This record gives sequence, structure tokens and C-alpha cells, in this order.
Amino acid sequence: MRDNTLKYLLVLPAVLVVFATAIWPLIEAARLSFTVGRLNRPGSLEQYLGWENYLWAFFEEPAFWNSVWVTAVYTILTVGLTTIFALGLALLLAPGGRLRSSAQTLLILPFAMSPALIGVSFRFMFNPEFGLFDAFFGVLIPPLADVSWLADPQLALAVVVMADVWGWIPFLTLVLIGGLASVPRDTIEAAQVDGASGWRVFKDVTLPQLAPVLAVVIILKSIFSLKTFDQVFMLTNGGPGTATQTLSHYIYFNGMKYGQIGYSASVAWLMVIPMIFLTYAYAKFVFRKADQ
Amino acid sequence: MAEIKLNNLTKRWGDFIGVDNQSLHVQDREFLVLLGPSGCGKTTTMRMIAGLEDPTAGEIWIGDRMVNDDLPKDRDVAMVFQNYGLYPHMTIFDNIAYPLRVRGTDKSEIKPRVEKAAEQVELTEFLHRKPKALSGGQRQRVALARAIVRTPKVFLMDEPLSNLDAKLRVTMRAELKHLSRALQITTVYVTHDQIEAMTLADRVAVMKNGIIQQLGTPDDIYNDPANLFVAGFIGSPAMNLINGSVTDGMFVTTGGTRLVPVNSPDRAKAILGVRADDMHVHEQGQGDIDVTIYAFENTGESTLLTVQWGQQRVIARGDRHLRKDQDEVVGISLNQDHLYLFDPETEDRIRM
Repeated sequence: MRDNTLKYLLVLPAVLVVFATAIWPLIEAARLSFTVGRLNRPGSLEQYLGWENYLWAFFEEPAFWNSVWVTAVYTILTVGLTTIFALGLALLLAPGGRLRSSAQTLLILPFAMSPALIGVSFRFMFNPEFGLFDAFFGVLIPPLADVSWLADPQLALAVVVMADVWGWIPFLTLVLIGGLASVPRDTIEAAQVDGASGWRVFKDVTLPQLAPVLAVVIILKSIFSLKTFDQVFMLTNGGPGTATQTLSHYIYFNGMKYGQIGYSASVAWLMVIPMIFLTYAYAKFVFRKADQ
Repeated sequence: MAEIKLNNLTKRWGDFIGVDNQSLHVQDREFLVLLGPSGCGKTTTMRMIAGLEDPTAGEIWIGDRMVNDDLPKDRDVAMVFQNYGLYPHMTIFDNIAYPLRVRGTDKSEIKPRVEKAAEQVELTEFLHRKPKALSGGQRQRVALARAIVRTPKVFLMDEPLSNLDAKLRVTMRAELKHLSRALQITTVYVTHDQIEAMTLADRVAVMKNGIIQQLGTPDDIYNDPANLFVAGFIGSPAMNLINGSVTDGMFVTTGGTRLVPVNSPDRAKAILGVRADDMHVHEQGQGDIDVTIYAFENTGESTLLTVQWGQQRVIARGDRHLRKDQDEVVGISLNQDHLYLFDPETEDRIRM
């Protein structure tokens, strides 16, 4: 057998799996998004509707725009907070930083937990009757004693953000530790001798050299934040009202709960668009790094 | 301008001793070279002066200030790193300007000073480029320019030429020497290359195992080595070290040849040191001893004869026009004014 043929044969199984689990569902979802697509109406999955579903989402559904807004706020907050905390921890934990390996091991624990489990634990911890955090806050900051965290729209979103940030810090920290390790030590030492303070060494020398890794981290986390579902589902189920309803949750609700598969497929495709941009940017950064 | 004083400086990592209770006084405007094999503590010593490494014990003085507790930025030193340590994301101009900027130099002053430094190292046409677009030698010049752009109390140079190819190294060595003479700033220079040490230094400190073995002018350490280590480390080819004993005022090789008179009481074991240049080559029978040529090498400027001498091989330097061949027999005589005797146990020099 020619090497050329063999090489394609060898990747064929993987291609088939990707096609069956990713490409085909995407195509099928695109088709469904142009149909009436009601689960409780036989034949409606083939009933062509044109751009009606998309127009409906854009012009007739405040709940859609609400979930877009929630997702945007959620993404900006989680990406920002996680990156900042992770960078701080990475600086402490990197070789030559102030904390070392035992702390690194401990750190990875939250990332080992499934997002659904994180959701459940946080729901318990913020339970007004017997929640651990609820009690803590009550003692530490008395004015917060009577706050029902998950019943208040803004606070509920804050709790969801907190749970996500907590769960993602470890992974981003590890990636950034790797990034910091690749910043040449003598550039940092040169800056110290040149007269730069700790902050200026970080700002002028470390950060610019860390930028490619930081970009990858931010893009990657944005992708994950945009599609957050399980934590929201377990922690607040989108509530109170629709205060924490992310796009993924909105799609799930319309498709599975209300049976509007056609409509939810169209919203799902609307979500694919920013994802494509982010994934493209991600690939570009990752491969640019490999080039050097 | 400042002198550097190290008082009983020690650096330990656990059980490993990097620098062992070392004192050193570098004079104002002196060019001092720390020379030694890798792991001898020379770089550690320099890094402690720069403040990049904390000493375990001892004091570091720069000028009239003890700087042990000062951060690197407050010590007013400039350093050139082995891998240059250039900022890859900045242009050459910004690289050179960085020490001025972080020290709050007036903006109008930065440009002329960077340009002057760049001119001194012949980099003027590359100022807008990034370090990646420069060759190794040019990067080395940028690192130098960044050090000389302001007038620090002390220059520290950590094997600055070791990443350059052999030819460039010779050129840069001369440029460095020229520059340092012009600038007249106290300099500590770390290298494992004895030629660099000999050519650049006012004084050389030869280090081994965290201890300075000998501190002296290049002449001193070449012509008057304090011990076996310095004798063997300095000089190319390395000094011939011949095992034997001293009997009745004669040095006798292990093989039993009564070689040369030495001014020393009898001792059962001794090592005779003699440089290749102090072993004269004659026709067979005309020297002190006849030996067989093991290898004959013509380097162009001279010839090197490795000769079999009992169980040992020694190297003699011959005239550049000398032509001999392997297995030929030649006579060898020793220049008796330049012989060194060492104690094999303590490795100390036995003064004659």
C-alpha cells in the first residue's frame, strides 16, 4: 500500500467520529433551524419555515436578548476575574515565585470537580437555611446576614460567576505558570539590574513576553464561558426568573422543555457565530506560537 | 566610580557550597576577571554583587555603602549577561534606553545618550530593529550599549563573549578592551576562557571550589602560579606536569631519569611543572634527554611536539619552521629559569 493512501486510512476513523459527533449534528441543527420543528407536532421537523425562527429571536423575543445580555455579563466577569486571579496565583507559584509545589497540587483540586457538582455544592453552600457561605457572610459581614443569595437576581448571577471563577482558576493558573516559565530569566534579571522596580519588571518585561499565552488563555476561557450550561442548570436553573439564564440554558429550555426544536436550533446557530471567531483566533494564536 | 569589597562572602545551597568564605577587594577603575572552570563559584560571586543572589553570610560593599540589603535596582551596577538578556519585544533603541527610562532620566536627554552609546558600539543603523533581527555579535553589542548608556558605579560581565563564534570573539574582545580603557569604570568580568582573562584583566582571580586560588596580574598568574591548579589551568597548551621526586638536588622522574637540578631539599614525591615554551627542541643527542615524538602538530605560528617521556606525554613548542615526523627522536632541554615544583599532596607550589 502506498504511504499516501495509508496515511489517509489511518486518520479516517478519527474523521468519521468527528463527522458523526460534531459536523453532522451541526448540519442537522442548521436544517432544523429553518423548520417549524415542534417536537409535539409530527411532520413539523420537515416543515420549511425560512428565516422565521431567526427573525422571531431577534424581533419578538425579549427572553432571547435577556439571555444574550446575561451571557455577555457572565462571560466578561468570569473571563476577567479568572484571568486576574489566575495570573496572580501563577506569579506566586511559578519557579522563583513565593509558593511552591505542595500548593500547586492542592490548587488543581477544584478543576478536578465536575461543573455540575460545583453547581450543586454552591447551591448548598448558599442555602439560606443551612448554607455554609450564607452563615459565613452573616457572621463576617452582619448586614449580609439576611440576604438570600440565590433569590436576588443580581446576587444570584454573582454566585454563578463566583462558582465558575472558583472552578476555572486552577487550570488557567497552570497554563500561566507554564507561560511564565518560558519567559527568559535573564530578561527579568536584566531589568532588575537596569533599575526597574518589581512592578515595572512585570509591566515592561514579563507581561509583554507572556502576552501570547495570556491571549490563548483569555480566548479559551471565553469559549468555555460562552457555552456555560451545567453550572447554571444545577445552581439556579436560570432563575430567579430569567436572571441567570445563559444562552445555552435558553436553548436547552426552548428545545427540551417547550419542544421548540426548530427555534432552539436557530438560536444555537446564532451562538455558533461568535464561537467560530473565537476558535479561529485561538487556532491562530496557538499555531503562531508553534511557528516560532 | 567605586571600589568593591567582599568580606568573608559565603553562598550555600543546603550542603552545596558555591562560594566559601571569600574576601576580595576590587580597586576603583580596576578590570578584575574572575576565572575558573564551571561550577567554581565565579558567576555566583558576580550575581551576589549584582544582588541577583543573596549571600548566606558575609558583606558586600560597593563604594562606601554595604549593599547586602539593597535590591539590584538600587546598587547602581550595570550587567551584561551571557545570553544578553535583551528585551525581545522592544526595539534596539528601547532596549538601550530602558535603564534611563526606569531611572526617570529626562526625556530630552534619552535620545542623545542612546545614540552616543549606540555609536560607541557601532550599532547606529540598527536602532529601529528588534533583537531577533540581529546577529549574535550585534546582540552582544546591544547588551554592552545598554550597560554603558548610563554611568554606573560598577560593570558586571557574565561570560559576555562565550556565545559568539571563535573569530567574532577575538574581535569583540579587542573592542571590549578598548571600550573599558576609554570608560574607566570598575569592572568585574566572569569567564572560563583564560585567554580572555589574560588579555582583558588588570588582575585575575583564579577560582576553584568557591575559593580564589590566586589573585594577581596576568603576568603573576602565568609566570608565578601559586599552586598546581593555577599552573594547570593557565596557559595553552597546559603546563606539563611531570611526576617524580627530588634526590640530591636533582629532579628525578618516576621513570628514574635524573632530569634537572632543582633548589629544594629531598622529597619522595614532587611534581615538576614546565611550560611547552620552556622546553627547547634540539636534534637527537643535543638536548638533556632524547625522546620519541608521539605526535607532531603544525599550528602555523609554531609547532607542537607531543613526546613520549617514560610513561608520560609532554608537549614542547618548536620553531614554526621545524619539520619532524611521528616516531622520530629529538633532544629536549628545559629552561631552568622557568621551572616550577609542586607538592602532589597539598598541590601547593614549592618555592625554589
